[in-house]
Amino acid sequence: MTRLRIFLVRLWGLVRSRQMDREIDDEIASHLAEATEEYVQQGLSPEEARLAAQRSFGGVPQTKEVYRQVRSFLWLEELPRDVRYALRTLRKSPAFTATAAATLALAIGANTAMFSVLNAVLLQPLPYQSPEQLAMLWTEDPTQNLRDGRSALWDVEQWQHQSQSFADMATFDSVTTTLTGAEGAEQIVGASISPNLLWLLGVQPVRGRNFSREETEEQKRLVLISHRFWQVRFGGSNDAIGATLVLNGLPSRIIGILPADFRIAPLDADVWEPHTTHRNVRAAETWFVVGRLRPTVTFDQAQAEMSAVARRVNDQLPAAERSRGISVVPLNLYVVGPQSRLALWTLGGAVFCVLLIAAANVTSLSLARSTARAREMAVRAALGANAGRIVRQLLTESVVLAAISGLTGTLLAFGGIRLIRAFGPASVPRLNDVSLDLRVLAGAVAISLVAGILVGLAPAMTTMRRDLRPSGEEGGRSVSGGTVSRRIRRALVVAEFALAIVLLVGAGLLVRSWWYVNNIDPGFKPDRVLVMEVTAPPTFSGPAQRTDLYDRVLEQAQAVPGVESAGIIDDLFTANPREQVLTVERDEGTVSERLRFTRDEISADFFKTVGTPLLGGRFFSIGDRPEAPRVAIINDALARRSWPGHDPLGRRFTLGPRDSGGPWYTVVGVVGDMRRQGLEREALPQIFVSLAQNPPSRNVDLFIRTSSADPLTKAAALRTAVRRVEKNAAIYGVAPLEQQLGAYLAQRRFQTSLLTGFSLVALMMAAVGIYGLVQYSVATRTQEIGLRMAIGAQRRDILRMMIGEGLTLSLIGVALGLVGASWLGRAGSSLLVGVTASDRLTFTTVSLLLTAVATAACYFPARRAMRVDPILALRVT
Amino acid sequence: MTPDKSDVLYGTLGLMVIKTLEALGPLHGYRIARRIEQISGNQLALNQGTLYPALLKLEQMGWISSKWGTSESGRRVKIYALTRAGRKQLHNEEAQWQRAASIVERFLKISEGRS
Repeated sequence: MTRLRIFLVRLWGLVRSRQMDREIDDEIASHLAEATEEYVQQGLSPEEARLAAQRSFGGVPQTKEVYRQVRSFLWLEELPRDVRYALRTLRKSPAFTATAAATLALAIGANTAMFSVLNAVLLQPLPYQSPEQLAMLWTEDPTQNLRDGRSALWDVEQWQHQSQSFADMATFDSVTTTLTGAEGAEQIVGASISPNLLWLLGVQPVRGRNFSREETEEQKRLVLISHRFWQVRFGGSNDAIGATLVLNGLPSRIIGILPADFRIAPLDADVWEPHTTHRNVRAAETWFVVGRLRPTVTFDQAQAEMSAVARRVNDQLPAAERSRGISVVPLNLYVVGPQSRLALWTLGGAVFCVLLIAAANVTSLSLARSTARAREMAVRAALGANAGRIVRQLLTESVVLAAISGLTGTLLAFGGIRLIRAFGPASVPRLNDVSLDLRVLAGAVAISLVAGILVGLAPAMTTMRRDLRPSGEEGGRSVSGGTVSRRIRRALVVAEFALAIVLLVGAGLLVRSWWYVNNIDPGFKPDRVLVMEVTAPPTFSGPAQRTDLYDRVLEQAQAVPGVESAGIIDDLFTANPREQVLTVERDEGTVSERLRFTRDEISADFFKTVGTPLLGGRFFSIGDRPEAPRVAIINDALARRSWPGHDPLGRRFTLGPRDSGGPWYTVVGVVGDMRRQGLEREALPQIFVSLAQNPPSRNVDLFIRTSSADPLTKAAALRTAVRRVEKNAAIYGVAPLEQQLGAYLAQRRFQTSLLTGFSLVALMMAAVGIYGLVQYSVATRTQEIGLRMAIGAQRRDILRMMIGEGLTLSLIGVALGLVGASWLGRAGSSLLVGVTASDRLTFTTVSLLLTAVATAACYFPARRAMRVDPILALRVT
Repeated sequence: MTPDKSDVLYGTLGLMVIKTLEALGPLHGYRIARRIEQISGNQLALNQGTLYPALLKLEQMGWISSKWGTSESGRRVKIYALTRAGRKQLHNEEAQWQRAASIVERFLKISEGRS
C-alpha cells in the first residue's frame, strides 16, 4: 500500500518537477532569511549572520540533490539528458556507431524473424477451446513396427465405452470427393467426421449451424463447407446456406460455414460430411481419432488407462492382432512433430548464438572505445559524478545503441518474415500464421534490451573497477588500455570462435545430410515427367469398366504431341504399408512369412515412363491378358529378401497364407528399387501386378514422360485428352514429378540454408571480432613494436607475434567449440541422415576453415604492425 | 525505494519532526529545525538542510501536510501540520521506541550487575 502510494506521489512529483524545484528554492531562501534574522538579533553583523545561517543549513546544492531524489525517480528525470548525451556521443564516432548498429541490427533482425516463427509454430496455442486437453489416439503394434496407426470405428467405440479419462472422442478422415458442377466433375478435398468433432474441439460454424446427432443417425446428406470454399464458390454470400452441392453423384445440403483456417491435424478440407459412429463389425482402420481429456486427467494417466483398455480390447481380436496398443499423443505434439520441433529449436538456438556473437563483437568494440574514453570518464568523475552515475550513462549509451539497432532489426525482420512465408516449406505446419504480432514485437524489444545491457555491461563494469581519479600522465598514452578490459576482450574472441564453430559444424553436418539426400537415387528419373491424379466417376463401379477407362486414357495421352510414354500406378508415394503374409515358392519348398511390402497395379509402360531400370526378365506386355496366367514384377529388395542367392524369375508367390485361395503370381521381371516412402528411407520390398489382370483402384496416378523440359506445358493438352475419354473423370494434383520430390527436400533445404546462413554470419562476425582485437592491439602497441624493432626484432618476428596472439585465441575457441559441437551434435543427431554427428570430415573442414579465416583476419592488421617505422614510433609520444 | 542508511536517519529525524508538530502545532521549516536543536540541547549536529528531504518524505507518507503561509516575521513560508495518520504513526512509533529503549535498558542493567 505505502509503496504504491509513494510510487504515485513520486510519479506526481515527476510531473510537477519544475514547480517543485521553484518551491524548494523559495523555501530554502525563506529558511536562510529567517535564520539570518535570528543571528542578527543575537548581535551578529548582517554579513556574519548570513554566513552563520548558511553554515547551520549545510550545503544548499546537496540538500536540493537529496530532495530531488526523494521527490521523484531521479534517473527518470535524468534519462532524457542521458539519452541526448548518448546520441551526441554516438554521432561523434560514426564509424563505431555504424559498425555496432549494423552488427546488432542484423542479429536482432534474424532473432526477431526466428522468434516470430517459433512463436507461431510452437508457442501459440492451437485454435481450439482448451487445446491442452486435446490428444490424438493412435493404434500401435510393436510386432508390426506400427506407430501412430489409424484406427477402426469399432475400436474407437470400445475405447470410449471402456475408458474414463476422456470426456469425448471424435473420428475423422479425408475422403476424395468428386464435385459435379456445370463445368464437369472436379476433385476436391472432403472430410468425413464424426458429428461430435466440432463440439469436441469447441469450434462453432461462423454461419449456419453444426450437424445434430439425430440428422446424422437419419443419414441425411448435410455438409459444412470451409471458409475458403465459401469465398471462392459463393463469394461469401449468405445464399450458400441451404444451397445444394452434388458430391460423389449425390446432392448434399450446406448447413454451415466453418471459421477461416479451420483445420484439424493434417486435414484441411473444403467439404465436411458427418458419418455415423455406429459400427457393429470391425471395418477398415482408416480413422484419425482425437479425444478431449476430462479436466483433471493428465496425459500420463490417460495413457496408462488406454494401455489397459487396449489389453482388454485385444482379447476380442484375432490372435494375430493381440499385440495392439493405444498411444495418447498431445495434439500440439502431433501437429508439430518432434522432428520439426527439434529443427526449429536448433535454428532458434543458432540464431541466438549469432546474437551472442554480435553482442560480443560490439562489447569488444565499446570496450576498446571505453579505454580510449578513460580520460573523459576521469574528467566526469573529477567534476563530481560518482561511479554509479557514470555506469548509468554508459548503460544508457549502449541501450540507445541497441534501440537504434532494434528498430532497424525489426524492419529487417519484417522483410525476413515475408521471405519465410514465401519460401518456407509447406511441411512445417502453421508457417502461414507467422507474423509480426504484438508478442513478436515485445520479443524484439526484449531481445534489443538484452543486447543493450549485454553490450553495455562489460565496459560499465570495467569503468566501475577502474580508478576514476584522473591519472595524470597515464591518461595520455597508456600501454594497451586496462588489463581487465583487454582480458575480457580476449575472452570474448575465444567465445565468439567457440560459438561460431558450433554453428559451422551444425551447418556442415546439415549440408552433408542435404547433399546425401539430394544425391540419393530415387530409383526413377523424375525429369520431364508429369503426374496427374485421375479418379474414375462413381458410375464406373465394375473393375472391367475401369480397366477399359484407363486403357483408353493411356491411349489418348500417348497420342498427345510431345508425349513419349504414359503409365499408370494406383499410388506411387504410398504411406507406411502394414506387415502382411507373403507365401513364396523356393527350392526347399513353399514358405510363408510376414513382412512389410507394397503391392500396386501398374500399366504396361509404367516403368518405361518413370525410368526405373529392368534388372532381369521383362515388363508387362499386351499378352498379359486377364485370362492369361497371373504375372508379377518385383523389385530388387524383394528378390534379395525372398529368394536370396537365387534367380526369382519364374518363381511363384501368393499374397496371404498358403491356403488363402488367392491367385498365384509368376515373377516375370525384376526392377530396381524405388524410394517411395520418402527419399531418406530405404526402399521396401515391392510387388507390381498388371492393371489388366487385377481390379484397379478408382484413383490412380497417371505419369506422362514428355519431350519438354517443363512438362507442365503439356498439362492442358493432357487434361483435354482425358476429358475426351470421360467427361466426368476428375483430374487433380497436376504437377511435375520433380516438384513432388522437391517437396520432400524442401524442409531439409529450408533448415539447412537457414543454419548455413546463420553460421556464415557468425563466421563473418567472429572474423571481424578478431580483426578488431588485433587491429586495436597493433594500434596501442605501436611504441612497443617500434622498441622491439629498434633493438633488433625482424619484421617477420613482429608479424609472427601479432598473428600468434590472435591465432592462439582463435585456436582455444576452436578447441572449446569442437567439444561443444560434438556434444550438441549428438543431441541433434536425429536431424542428420547419411552422416554421423561426429563426422570427421565436417569437423576437420570447419576447423581448417575457421583457422584460415582467423589467420587472414589477423594478417591484415599484423602487416600494418610489421610496417611500423621504429624511428617514428619512438619519437611520437 | 529500498530502505538504505539515510532512510534510518530520516526515520529518527521524522519522529522528531512529527513529535515537534504534535507538541507545538503547525510550524514552518526553520521553526521545526530550531525546536529540534533546542530540545536536543544542541547535542544533535543537525544540518538544517537535511530537514527538507525528510519533510518531503513525511508528506509523501501522508503523515504531515503542508501549505504556503506567512511566518511571524511576515515571510512567505511553507507551514507543516500533523495529519490524523501522522498522529497515529507517532503513537505507534513512540510505543515502539519505548519498548525498544526499555529492552536495551534491561540489557544494560544485567551487564552492570555482572561487572
